[in-house]
Amino acid sequence: MAREQALVLPVLVASPVDVGRLQRELAAIDEVLVQLALRQGGSETKMPKTSHLMDQIVSDNQLNLLQEADRKKLAEFLELVKTKAPVLHMSFGADPSVGFMEKLMAWLRQNISPYVLVTVGLQPNIGAGCIVRSTNRQFDLSLRQDFLNKRDLLMNKIIGGQAEVTA
Amino acid sequence: MTIWWLVLILAALGSVGIAFIWLAVNVSGGKPKAKDAPNSYEEAAEQDVEHIFNEDFREELRNRGRLHFEKIIGENAMFLQQDLRLTTSQLNEYMKTEITRKLKEEFDKYEQSIMDAKQLAIESIQKTNAVIDEQRQQLSDQVQKEIVTEKQQLLQHFEQNMADIVNHYVLAAIGNQIDLTDQLEYILTDLEANKQAIIEDIQHGA
Repeated sequence: MAREQALVLPVLVASPVDVGRLQRELAAIDEVLVQLALRQGGSETKMPKTSHLMDQIVSDNQLNLLQEADRKKLAEFLELVKTKAPVLHMSFGADPSVGFMEKLMAWLRQNISPYVLVTVGLQPNIGAGCIVRSTNRQFDLSLRQDFLNKRDLLMNKIIGGQAEVTA
Repeated sequence: MTIWWLVLILAALGSVGIAFIWLAVNVSGGKPKAKDAPNSYEEAAEQDVEHIFNEDFREELRNRGRLHFEKIIGENAMFLQQDLRLTTSQLNEYMKTEITRKLKEEFDKYEQSIMDAKQLAIESIQKTNAVIDEQRQQLSDQVQKEIVTEKQQLLQHFEQNMADIVNHYVLAAIGNQIDLTDQLEYILTDLEANKQAIIEDIQHGA
C-alpha cells in the first residue's frame, strides 16, 4: 500500500462494511458523472447525495470527485483497503458508541496500522473490556479473563476469609 | 471272676445233690445177697437182721433219710439261695460298676470329642473373625481413602464453582454498569500491552 500512502483513511471508516459502502457510493457518483458527460446540454441531471463518510474522506484527502483521476484514485485506494487492509475483530460487552469507536480507531490507526479496519461483535458475558481477534490470534482483554487469571487470588481470599471466620 | 465263682458253686451243689441221690438209691434198693448161705449162723444172723431191720425199721430209716435229705436239700437250697442272692447282688454291683465305668468312659470320650469339636469350631470362628476383621479393615481403609479422594474432588469442584459463581456474579453486577466510554482507557491500556503481538500477527499473518 506504499503507492497509496498519500491518501488517508478517516477514523469514521472503521469496518469493511464502511469501505464497501464508500465503494458503492463512489461507483454511483462515477456513473452519474459519466452519464452527465454523455448527456446533451439543457437537460437536468440530479447529483447523488454524498454521505458523511464520503465527505470526510474527500476532504481529508483533498480530492475532487468531479475529476475522473481523483475518482479513480479513490476507487483504487478503497479497493486496495478492502483487499489488503488488516482487519481486527473486536467484541465488546455492549454496543460501542460513535465517539468510542472514533477514539478507538484513532488509537489503532496511530499504533497498529493506518489502514486497519475493525469489525465489531457483541459478547455481553465478558463484563468489561474486549476480545480482539486478529488474523491468527485472539487476545482476550476482558474482565472475565482477568478474573480467571486471578482466580487463585480470589480463592486465597475466600479460603483466608473462611479460615478467619472459623478461627 | 464272680461268674466263675458262681459256676463253681453251682457245680459243687450239683455234685452234692447227685451224691445224695445215689446214696438214697443204694440204701433203699439194697437186697440180701446171701440167702442161700449154708451157714446156720449166717442164716440166723440174717434172720435177726431181718428181724431187726424189718420193714417198719426200714421204713423208719427211709423216713429219717428222707427227712435228713430234705433237711440237707433245704439247707443247701437256703445256702444256694443266699449264694444266689449274694451273687446276684455282686453281679448287680458288678454290672452297675461296669456299666457306670463304661458309661463314664463313653461320656468321657463323648465329652472329649465335643471339646475337640468345640475347640475346632472356636479356632475356625477365630480364624474367620480374623479374616473378617482384616477384610473389614481393608474395606474401611479403602472406603476412607475413596471418601477422602471424593471429598477433595468435591472441595476442588466447589472452589472452582465458587470462583466461577463469584466471577459471574461480579461480571453480572458490574458488567452493565460500566459504560464503554469509561472502559476506553482500560481497553487502550490492554491494547498497548498487546500492541506488538497484534502488529506481528498482522504483518506475518496470511
